[in-house]
Amino acid sequence: MEGRAAIVIGGYETLDVHERDGVGWLVFDRPEVGNAMDATMLAELERAWAELDADPSVRVIVNTGNGDAFQTGLDVKQLATDKDALREQSRRTRDATLKLTAWHCGVRKPVIAAVNGVCAGGGLHFVADADIVIASSTATFTDPHVSIGQVSAYETIGLVRKSPMESIVRMALTGRHERITAERARQLGILSEVVEPERLRDAAAELAAKIARNSPAAMAATKAALWGALESGLTDACRAGSQHLVDMWGHPDQAEGPLAYTEKREADWVPLETESDA
Amino acid sequence: MSYEHLIVERHGPVGWLINNRPEQLNAMNSAMRDEFADAWNELNEDPDVRVIVHTGAGRAFQTGVDVTEIATDGVGFERYRQSVEDWDLHFTSWHQHVWKPVITAVNGICAGGGFHWVADADIVIAASDAQFFDPHVSVGQVVAIEAIGLMRKMPAEAVMRMAFVGRHERMSAQRAYELGMISQIVDPPEKLRDVAQELAETIAKNSPAAMAATKRALWGALEHGLTDACREGAKELVGMWGHPDQGEGPAAWAEKRPANWQPLEP
Repeated sequence: MEGRAAIVIGGYETLDVHERDGVGWLVFDRPEVGNAMDATMLAELERAWAELDADPSVRVIVNTGNGDAFQTGLDVKQLATDKDALREQSRRTRDATLKLTAWHCGVRKPVIAAVNGVCAGGGLHFVADADIVIASSTATFTDPHVSIGQVSAYETIGLVRKSPMESIVRMALTGRHERITAERARQLGILSEVVEPERLRDAAAELAAKIARNSPAAMAATKAALWGALESGLTDACRAGSQHLVDMWGHPDQAEGPLAYTEKREADWVPLETESDA
Repeated sequence: MSYEHLIVERHGPVGWLINNRPEQLNAMNSAMRDEFADAWNELNEDPDVRVIVHTGAGRAFQTGVDVTEIATDGVGFERYRQSVEDWDLHFTSWHQHVWKPVITAVNGICAGGGFHWVADADIVIAASDAQFFDPHVSVGQVVAIEAIGLMRKMPAEAVMRMAFVGRHERMSAQRAYELGMISQIVDPPEKLRDVAQELAETIAKNSPAAMAATKRALWGALEHGLTDACREGAKELVGMWGHPDQGEGPAAWAEKRPANWQPLEP
């Protein structure tokens, strides 16, 4: 992709976080262990999502992994050898207060998961909780929880709301003995695009660039409406959604959008308010 | 009734509702919005209509609210504020509690608010050259109701991708078919209305009362968790017991003749 060089957002040990052309990149960076989440990464994820969501130069976020794997869930080695390190995480799991994904962290910007390789177990959190998912043709999806005596719940519950259920339950119950291919995941609508491995980041950047042209405020309200809709029955969801619709009326983007369209120019959107302004 | 922006027709047991502002790509102005409410009621109350087909005239199926009217009439979206805030909409068959089967036949472009009639139909078929996209966020508008409905009925990722990419990408009829958003692609596109009529006549052979109860059960199920939905569905199931169609159906089948169904009570 053409464009300016990436600006590294530093201070992370297990993540590679940077911004380029309006796109924030959150890249899992423990390639030697399949990008498994240890206690450090778990803490850094919460910070990184918050930092990218608050960064006014970031309009869209892409989540991918360095190395062969996308994300393979909790670091089982640390779990087995250093239980104390993951005590806080156990508490959050019990209380349903996880802070791993954009959804957990209340991110208001669109999030694209670009699955670059195997996505296993807890890695599925990041597929379930993304707005848009694309994948390398080499990506695979598997949920080994029950093969190592663990329950699969959060990730698969999220996926069941968004995808044909049989495929998700099959994945949860076959455990490590089966994998869903990227192409099958595309057929099922778990993801929308499969590209050659070397094209994945460019494809994600191109998709993000399209999304970055849309109104940040309208997208944030759309995201709140659509994810909020998964919380209730259809009529209640529509009723709540209609509030998000009407709340945008009177926002400058609402007039700017049609105007820019008729004048055949790019719209000049108002940046998303940060939490402190709101 | 006569309509300015819609055409209502009857062909055998099939009622047709045709969006008819082809030069505006069937965009919905406020007059058309009001006419929809009347047209659905008219077809719903006509005992001779067993199934309803909804399509569009011209190269578009429907492209949402008429943005020109919004931008130029000095009233804009404020005209709709009360009805949206109060969740008091009347332009789709779901809004109007139409319990007859509704087939949406997408004849071309379906954009933005056009998805209301895809989300709220029971069955959706499309011409092979139909295209789907949701430009709301590209013109500073929020996507909510249509996408909320669609997300209950098909893989959600595809709906969200359309919502966030806006006008910068279109979905083909082929992909809509793969995803289960539509159940049939008609090629060549000119055959769409014939195919829709044929499908509607096939459905019209079934018991109107059983289909109405089935429709209430399935749409009602989207309101609840699974167990509560089944509990509500059971009421519809049992509510049909003792209805004449319940005896007539098996009798006609045994006697190898078409069933003589009771018309739906208005």
